Amino acid sequence: MSIDQRFAIALVVMAAASYLCRAGGFFFMRFVPLTPRREAALRALPIGVMTGIVAPVVLQGRIPECAGLAVAILVMTWRGSDLAAALAGVAVVALLRQIL
Amino acid sequence: MATAARPPFTLAGFRQGFVRAQALAPGVLLYGVVFGILATEARLSVLESVLTSVFIYSGSAQMAALQVWRDGAELLPLFAAIVLMNARYLLYGAALRPWLAGAPPLASYGTLFFLGDGNWALAMAERERGQDDAAFVLGSGIAMFAPWILGTLIGRLSGGLIGDPARYGLDFMLIAFSAALLIGMWKGKADLGPVLAAGLAAVMLAPFVSSGWIIVAGGLAAAAAGALTHRSPVPNEATS
Repeated sequence: MSIDQRFAIALVVMAAASYLCRAGGFFFMRFVPLTPRREAALRALPIGVMTGIVAPVVLQGRIPECAGLAVAILVMTWRGSDLAAALAGVAVVALLRQIL
Repeated sequence: MATAARPPFTLAGFRQGFVRAQALAPGVLLYGVVFGILATEARLSVLESVLTSVFIYSGSAQMAALQVWRDGAELLPLFAAIVLMNARYLLYGAALRPWLAGAPPLASYGTLFFLGDGNWALAMAERERGQDDAAFVLGSGIAMFAPWILGTLIGRLSGGLIGDPARYGLDFMLIAFSAALLIGMWKGKADLGPVLAAGLAAVMLAPFVSSGWIIVAGGLAAAAAGALTHRSPVPNEATS
């Protein structure tokens, strides 16, 4: 168990950078009065982030990942359980990666 | 200003978040193991590896930091690498403002320390379904933070036993989960604009930037679309 001094300084810098990102947006919004329009913007944000996570995978167009997404979406529409959907998607990806 | 009602911040809400996020815990654990192994290769001690996972707590940012660390560990590039990798958290925090603002500062700023992609996505989806308890965010955050630290420790101590998590498709867990949450969040025509805007942003930027930035762009594009398509019930509320 040891920490050298160079690492300790780097750790403080890295921790500051990380927490700044986590707390910064929340803190900043304190000075931005919430109008209904801005609330609508914040409400639309999560679905855009989800799209931003999923879209590049579709664009890459690899078969296991695209099939995994299709299965996850089907299971979610059919059963309404995000856990079951994600697990089914992962299973399909793992299986197809073994085969292809 | 208008929302004076304080959201509850209770143990029950914490527990619900903790239980709901367990779906994502095994994937997080394995990626923690991977980071532990990489940290061994970058010659970080056990304590240093664990402290890195505690205080950065972000897979992509930690991988980037290791790279900079190997290249001489200059402080400014180290800082910049982490801010660039974690810029999306600025948006996550902003989106949490209406929900967490009513909680005591120690609770809200403490909760933000444990903010991650998975638990944020889960919490926002649950909020759409009527979850009001702000401790849900903290509970789900801790549920993912703990396996990340444990995984780091296991990986640093064991080195190379587990192999590539991609073999089990575990790198796909967050993506599949996001797709499912997207479907779950879909309420109808009002969501079409934001999703199309985010998709368009992703298509245009994908060849040029890393996935972290595509997430930022998707979120911003959807927020802009959400603001533009919002119909104010009060006619003279035009400025924004």
